[in-house]
Amino acid sequence: MLTNYWPLSFKITLLLCLSLPLVFNIGCDNSPTATPPVAPTDPSLPGEEPGSETPAEPAAEAGTAESANAEEDAEQAAAGFKLGDMIEPFTPPTLEELDSMVEWEAQPVLDSLELRREDDAKHPSKVTVAEALKLRNTSKETNDKILEGLGQLPANDNAVNWDASINRHSGGDINSTFPLFMSSTAEFDINSLIGIGLFSFDWTFQNFAAKEAVVSWHSSKDRLFDKVIIRDDLTWSDGKPITAHDVAYSYKLILTKSVPCRAVRSGTDQIKWVEAYDDQTVVYFHKESLVTNNMNMNFPIIPKHVYEPIIAEDPLLKSSKNSHLEDNPVVGGPYTVRSRSRGQEIIFDRRDSFYLHNGKQVRDKPYYKVIRFRVQPNDATALLALKAGDLDEMQLSPELWQNQTDGDDFYQRNTKVFDTEWANIQFIWNIKDPRFADKRVRWAMAYAFDHEELLNTLLFGLCEPCTGNFHPTSRWSPVPAPTPLKQDLDKAEDLLDEAGWVDSNGDGIRDKMIDGKRVNFEFTIITNNRQLRIDICNLLKESLEQIGIRCQVTALEFPAMIEKLSNKDFQASCGGWGAGTDPDTSENIFATDQPRNYGSYSSKKVDDLFLAGKREFDPEKRRKIYQDIARQLWDDQPYCWLYYMNAQFAFSKSLRGYKFSPRGPYHYGPGFSSIYSTVE
Amino acid sequence: MTVYLVRRLFLAVFTLLVITALIYSLARSMPGDPLQVDMAEMDPKHRMSPEDHALAKKAYGLDKPWHVAYAGWLGGLFKLDLGDSFRYRRPVTTLIGERVGYTLLLSVPSFVVTFGLAVPLGLYVTRRSGRLDERLLSVFFYMLYSLPSYVVALWLLYYFYLRLSGTIFQLPPGMTSDNFNDLSFLGKAGDLTRHMILPLFCYSYASLAYDTRFIKANMEEAIRQDYIRTARAKGLDDRTILYRHAFRNTLIPFVTIIGLTLPSLISGAVILEQIFAWPGIGKLFFDAVNGQDYNLIMGMTLMFSVATLAGQLLADVLYAFVDPRITYQ
Repeated sequence: MLTNYWPLSFKITLLLCLSLPLVFNIGCDNSPTATPPVAPTDPSLPGEEPGSETPAEPAAEAGTAESANAEEDAEQAAAGFKLGDMIEPFTPPTLEELDSMVEWEAQPVLDSLELRREDDAKHPSKVTVAEALKLRNTSKETNDKILEGLGQLPANDNAVNWDASINRHSGGDINSTFPLFMSSTAEFDINSLIGIGLFSFDWTFQNFAAKEAVVSWHSSKDRLFDKVIIRDDLTWSDGKPITAHDVAYSYKLILTKSVPCRAVRSGTDQIKWVEAYDDQTVVYFHKESLVTNNMNMNFPIIPKHVYEPIIAEDPLLKSSKNSHLEDNPVVGGPYTVRSRSRGQEIIFDRRDSFYLHNGKQVRDKPYYKVIRFRVQPNDATALLALKAGDLDEMQLSPELWQNQTDGDDFYQRNTKVFDTEWANIQFIWNIKDPRFADKRVRWAMAYAFDHEELLNTLLFGLCEPCTGNFHPTSRWSPVPAPTPLKQDLDKAEDLLDEAGWVDSNGDGIRDKMIDGKRVNFEFTIITNNRQLRIDICNLLKESLEQIGIRCQVTALEFPAMIEKLSNKDFQASCGGWGAGTDPDTSENIFATDQPRNYGSYSSKKVDDLFLAGKREFDPEKRRKIYQDIARQLWDDQPYCWLYYMNAQFAFSKSLRGYKFSPRGPYHYGPGFSSIYSTVE
Repeated sequence: MTVYLVRRLFLAVFTLLVITALIYSLARSMPGDPLQVDMAEMDPKHRMSPEDHALAKKAYGLDKPWHVAYAGWLGGLFKLDLGDSFRYRRPVTTLIGERVGYTLLLSVPSFVVTFGLAVPLGLYVTRRSGRLDERLLSVFFYMLYSLPSYVVALWLLYYFYLRLSGTIFQLPPGMTSDNFNDLSFLGKAGDLTRHMILPLFCYSYASLAYDTRFIKANMEEAIRQDYIRTARAKGLDDRTILYRHAFRNTLIPFVTIIGLTLPSLISGAVILEQIFAWPGIGKLFFDAVNGQDYNLIMGMTLMFSVATLAGQLLADVLYAFVDPRITYQ
């Protein structure tokens, strides 16, 4: 009887299986993983503080039952693995030869926390803690008072609750604790707790060697060589010393083809060679004499003795016998991983052997005994957890800031503060498209857009308008900075008329003869599938409709958008960029044929200025170069710059010591390391 | 029966092949690749050059065309190896194994509670059809069914997590409390139960409303049949007519819906898992699709497909048990 059911049953089964995505409501949710191309993070933050030891098991003792399949994989991997095979062969001189031929200049070796203390001493707070705690953040003035009152470092050790733990919010889980594989903001955050680095930068983006790890740093006058002496009281969490050989090995591993270090290879690949002359002395050899060379030395350092025996056979570190290194890595930073529940939380313990050496304190003791990252993918739930006291900090979206953090239930336990990040959002025009090739058209777009509606309605008046690739308070910004634009439809129409875009056939849409064909001014703008971005594009569409231009908004998943941008298969796009610590980082966005120059902007003047900028060692002359770049870019309008994102954070009232940099409160030195809980 | 089962199993294998090939080709045809996802979060300094991108694609085997990669995936499947996740760099089977337990922790009790309550409620409203209590219950079920679970979830969290904070009635999100590892066995069970109550409720209430209405609708049809009239004419009491005669004849659609529900036991719920910070399979699948984690997508698609086919097969087999008129010849 059931024979008759077969075809129907088959169809139903197939239909059900193919419609599975619908079962999971895909596309009906806020995507925590759909992230814009903005990342005010830096993997280079050194481990700022101490922690406790959790030695990892030796790799050879772990994992007994490897399948034949895995063994085959390992053999193939080992055959393809060649340490440092992306590095040009080079024979470094001896240290004596180098010292004899190079004139060294001392570079700063600083303690970032000490820099904060000095800054606090220079700018003592006029607002008491009690006053700051009573305030509600309703204006820039109250915001600054809260920051001033609660942002000070402890007056002395007695003011710190050294046994405190902090619950931090993470919107998503991390993929890896291995520093070379990190690529997401959450992973960079975690690496700042467990990683060790030799270099750092402060809230003004001034670079220095980290005093907690470095004795001295010298550069050659032409910046072709950098010599660093590492402290001899640094240890990995398994008790082995951290040496120059670890630094040289990390460099080589990063530049090994079969090890997919996607985020940390760029920059490191500009170094010609890294040589460890002894346990403490490491010299960086650069390919060119560039002022930007010191940025490239800030790569993560891993323990050679742990990874050297295993990495050739397992360059992706996916073998089960090496899985313990994911959950319980050997670390050099101030914290160790205590436990990791995937999708739920990751807990870190302070590592005593980081700040103590032979029983004596040799570095700043980290303020927190335990740090817990709670994974809360839903912002609304995370806010409830914050209000309930189960989270001590979280980043607030404009919507949460404006509508859900004004009541007593929020201020009972928490306060909120913000500052501008140098991360800007903009429209990118594809200049290869005939519609956007003429800069008068791009200016017309900028004048047509309703900037006030964006700033005051969509962004609740919380964000600053953006007028170029450098923030007005940055030393690279032109003085005076360009004035923010306001919607001027008449001007936009005049510019379009001048450029030949007129409504010649009376159909309400501007058009132009291009290569003998009449082309309507209609285009599609693509953006990431996030509501605010879509709203911004819709605002553009509405603005342009008033001047006879038709715009279609298409929201895409992030990988799809990136592919379209990379292939230049788009007409216009809405996206953003985070701030690099050096203006040269925007070369790959605006110089001709650079990988992130999605809009195909090309200006010989800008190209030459970028080349000159990285070779100019005089700070004032260099400043002028980047100011000229900013002026030229503003004049050419390859982007329609819209606004700077805010770093908006809620903090528990028990927290003190936070200070914002142009990358928010964490991603600089000391960043998170300056935050503490009070004994009260 | 055996011949029927063997034929169904052969058909199931063929169906699985078609589904997996189709999904694999679709997944690989999506614009972008999993390596580009990470580029999102790099700052301008940490860019990936096209050469590095090509190297990474090779390292992860993404440089091969989809049919070659599918053949490799299929080959691995015969060795019970579903490959590794690109994103997590761990075996897909391990990742699924870790999450499916958390999902079952909610879905199985939800299944039991839903059907455990839906059957008596469905029969009750059938018996009381047209009366005030039945009308009130029906309105209530319609209301429940139309309430979006994510709104209910947030409202419940606001009240039971935030407003009752500090009381013994507080029901927090997440799976366990921070001190979970320090608790006794009973303490752990209690803690887990406390965390399960709200997600379980949100998981179940709409299904309960739907299933109750479903049973009532089928029963309404059954009790209008001639054999029920005959039973009444014979003087049988209402309870016997309803339970032994009418309900038994509604078991075919009931079994069908149970068969269709089986895949949902392991599929999780993306939105509820996010709101309750429950690390279930739905969130994993959602992240896999967003991140174009092909092996993970395939592993989970396979699991869902097998569950769907198994649910269908189970329903077909159960038809014979609930209805003697059905045979497998």
